[in-house]
Amino acid sequence: MLKTTKMFALAATAALALGATAGIAVAADLTIASWGGSYQAAQSKAIFQPVAKKLGITIKEESYGGISDVRLQVKAGAVTLDIIDTGSGGGARGGVEGILEPLDYKMIDVSNFVDGTHLPACVGTITFSTVAAYNTDTYKDGGPKTWADFFDTKKFPGKRAYRSKYHGALEPALMADGVPKSEVYKVLDSKEGIDRAINKIRSIKDDIAVWWKSGAQHAQLMKDGEVDMTTGWNGRFDVAIKDGAKTAYNYNDALLDYDCFGIPKGAPNKELAMKFLAEASKPEYQANMPQYITYGPTDKKAYELGIIDDAVAKTLPSHPHNAETQLVVDNGWYAKWEKYASEKYQEMLTE
Amino acid sequence: MSVADILHPGAAAAGDAAPNADGLKADAALERMKLFGLCSPALLLVVVTMVLPVVWLFYLSFLSDEGTFSLEHYERLTASKAYARIFWTTFKVSILTTIICVAIGYPLAYFLAQLPKRAAALCMITVLLPFWTSLLVRTYAWLVLLQRKGLVNTWAIELGLWDEPIKIVHNLNGTLIGMVHIMLPFLVLPVYGSMKAIDTDFVKAASNLGASPVKAFWKVFFPLSLPGLFAGALIVFVLCLGFFVTPAVLGGGRVIMVSMSITDTIELFFNWGAASALGVVLLVMTLGTLFLASRLLNLDKILGGGGGGGGH
Amino acid sequence: MSDNLGRGEALPIFIGNVTKTYGKVFALDDVSLDVKQGEFMTLLGPSGSGKTTLLMVLAGFTRPDHGSLKFGDREVIRTPPHKRDVGMVFQNYALFPHMNVAANVGFPLKLRNVSGPELAERVEGALETVQLGGYGERGIDQLSGGQKQRVALARAIVFEPRILLMDEPLSALDKKLREHMQIELRHLHDKLGMTTVYVTHDQREALTMSDRIAVINHGKLMQLDEPRTIYDFPANTFVADFIGESTFVPVSVSGGKVSYDGTALQTATTPDGAGKYNLMMRPERLAFVSGKKPKDVNVFKGTVSELVFQGESFLMYADLSDGTQVAVRGATQKDAMANVPEVGAAVSLGLHKDDTVLIPDTGDLPA
Repeated sequence: MLKTTKMFALAATAALALGATAGIAVAADLTIASWGGSYQAAQSKAIFQPVAKKLGITIKEESYGGISDVRLQVKAGAVTLDIIDTGSGGGARGGVEGILEPLDYKMIDVSNFVDGTHLPACVGTITFSTVAAYNTDTYKDGGPKTWADFFDTKKFPGKRAYRSKYHGALEPALMADGVPKSEVYKVLDSKEGIDRAINKIRSIKDDIAVWWKSGAQHAQLMKDGEVDMTTGWNGRFDVAIKDGAKTAYNYNDALLDYDCFGIPKGAPNKELAMKFLAEASKPEYQANMPQYITYGPTDKKAYELGIIDDAVAKTLPSHPHNAETQLVVDNGWYAKWEKYASEKYQEMLTE
Repeated sequence: MSVADILHPGAAAAGDAAPNADGLKADAALERMKLFGLCSPALLLVVVTMVLPVVWLFYLSFLSDEGTFSLEHYERLTASKAYARIFWTTFKVSILTTIICVAIGYPLAYFLAQLPKRAAALCMITVLLPFWTSLLVRTYAWLVLLQRKGLVNTWAIELGLWDEPIKIVHNLNGTLIGMVHIMLPFLVLPVYGSMKAIDTDFVKAASNLGASPVKAFWKVFFPLSLPGLFAGALIVFVLCLGFFVTPAVLGGGRVIMVSMSITDTIELFFNWGAASALGVVLLVMTLGTLFLASRLLNLDKILGGGGGGGGH
Repeated sequence: MSDNLGRGEALPIFIGNVTKTYGKVFALDDVSLDVKQGEFMTLLGPSGSGKTTLLMVLAGFTRPDHGSLKFGDREVIRTPPHKRDVGMVFQNYALFPHMNVAANVGFPLKLRNVSGPELAERVEGALETVQLGGYGERGIDQLSGGQKQRVALARAIVFEPRILLMDEPLSALDKKLREHMQIELRHLHDKLGMTTVYVTHDQREALTMSDRIAVINHGKLMQLDEPRTIYDFPANTFVADFIGESTFVPVSVSGGKVSYDGTALQTATTPDGAGKYNLMMRPERLAFVSGKKPKDVNVFKGTVSELVFQGESFLMYADLSDGTQVAVRGATQKDAMANVPEVGAAVSLGLHKDDTVLIPDTGDLPA
């Protein structure tokens, strides 16, 4: 809690500082929208401001509600944002829908990116992982190490929490059911595969006490001891652990996901935005992020620059050592099977 | 001078038998126009903020992803078993909440109605207190109290009431506890109002005529308080149908109500058409409930009379 | 439910030393009062006098601090209202709005396990008694004020209680209907023979209907007598002033002789002993005197100060020689009006010795 407060204070100070700069600038050259809070405060210091300085331009930062805001602006023909930060799913969808501009990968260098962390219309900036966390008090002799363990309620009895949406929920179930990491999206690419994954979840439904909706929630569930294990995002657990939560997790077969930058269709300063993203995607900027928040870079080279503290680097999702044990989320699959998977998942939930 | 002139002085001057009739009629019309003029900003506000969005909702729900007229969103609702279950959950939770609210709220209102004015006002404040605190805060407070290692379980285990933590939240129980807490004032207020409006002479008359206190209550007081009870129950039920925060937080993901499904449909899938269809079905079901209620009960009396009861 | 109460002969009521206080205020101050079997007794007093409190004690809705209450020979002071078996008509009728006329009237019968044809028969009988035969299916809000009043009455008598209580039952009716109902209620009482206790603040109503009137003020019984006695010989200034119109003229009493302004008066009763007394003059008992002083009439001389026409009567104010203003009321019949002097004229007013009533001056003379 204390940590969170400090974080907020930091964010507030940063926001004030930003406000001051924005006040001096008559008209900003670029408008960038992200998620606000401690995340955007970190981005601002690690990436946005240094890049703007390098390019000699002024920027205006805004916080926004996600890809649906972009859709509204594009549909209304009144686009004010030049660059947006979105989840990989939103980035993939935005590209398919045509509300995000295709990116020019001749300008943006993704050659050293973790595989699958860039999309036609969205370039990765940070990575996070969906992992299995467990209570170290409940499982003193070691908790679940694999998804199979997570789904084994005899070997590891205890209350579980699981995601209330199908996002990041089917892949672990399939792996627990014996599908190797590399085959997961192949198996999932059919109704039978999706049904198989959902049936696996159905088999432990009685042991799932809570279906979580947000990162804040699954972190709190672990902190309060409300459940003994849960799926969730690594960054949230890091904060909980720092706050004293008896929690541990590993990257074994975890799902590697990322946030990315895109340019809304019809952005007022498209050319400049592209230049900005080319610069912002360089490893030296990405390497600044972990100082402020425990998310990993998408560019593997960022680890080789000596900017990231070694001890910290080893804990980040995209650290080569961690990345290689993980499955990168396939947004193509999500776009294709959204309807079927979400409906079947909801049916399982409402049974 | 004729007799008519004497009987109707002034008629001769005006030149007809109904002097000033046209002018008076015009005045009345002008007055109505002015009255309407006074109301029109409010009417406009109602149309813009309430009628238009509903019309828009209907329109969207019949629009396919390609922008043509289609029933696909409604077909989707019937195709998946999940939606029937979600609507069933919504009604089940609403009905249960209403029943519990009535079971707790009616005796509470009765107790308040018997208290002297000052004491009743004081107690009423405690009933209304939840109104003045944030819904989220109250809901999370219940979470803290009821969870596995929460206050209730910890104390109960210490007191030896039960050995293992019992599951009172992240399920239907927790949802009902939270919703009843929030909805209770909506029931107590109209019931209290209708009880206060009952002339004490009615109960006196009943007992004078030979009714024991229990009989006087059931034969006279209770029937007279029914309009308030129906009004309160109806308000609670309808509010429950659209409830979002409490089941989302205390339901643990297993109590899925329509409003939550609507939010998901928009936030996750950006599907305005499907969300609108859900909204339209919920709206129609709510209106259906109101219509049924108006058929079974005298709704005009409930909504208009507030808590009539008094016969004079 | 009823052992020695209920259907049967009317019961006398014995009220003994009943006291009820609210904080320091006495609503009833040691009231003792007997109502005879089959009597029509009216409790008369201004609002706040305690008359309604006394009625509520009889019905069982108000618990007195102490005292005794007997219906016949049974002590009922601690009996709850629903076991007292007394009929009651409430001021606002208290007809149950959720029941029709028949259900209202049948309510006390159902509680007494009357059902089927007998129930219908007795309900209809009660409604016929109050001249509302065939009104059973009407809703309460379809009735006029007078009809509601009759239904309330029917409901109070349908179970043939031996005591009937009425709390200002006619106060909500307009004047004409009220006067008509007064006669009708009295006839009904005579027909049913129940012991009736009737509360009103309307002295004319009390005089019209009652066998006896109990005048109550400040929780105390001021006088208990038949209407004529109450009117003609009020026991104290309060009763004299509250009932009818009256002017009070201070008189001196010594040795059994009464005089006003130096002139000896013939009186109906001779006051025993000394003390301060007032002469009560009822305006309608004063007459114009011309010429020789008639036998057995006391004459007062004065000047006409004001004359008011009030329809069925006129009211004249005259200043007596010592400045006391008295009122005179007379009929507006043409011949009588011819004798009325004009304002400013001297006038002689005669009061028959039987109407010359002295009231002990208790110092609470109304202003």
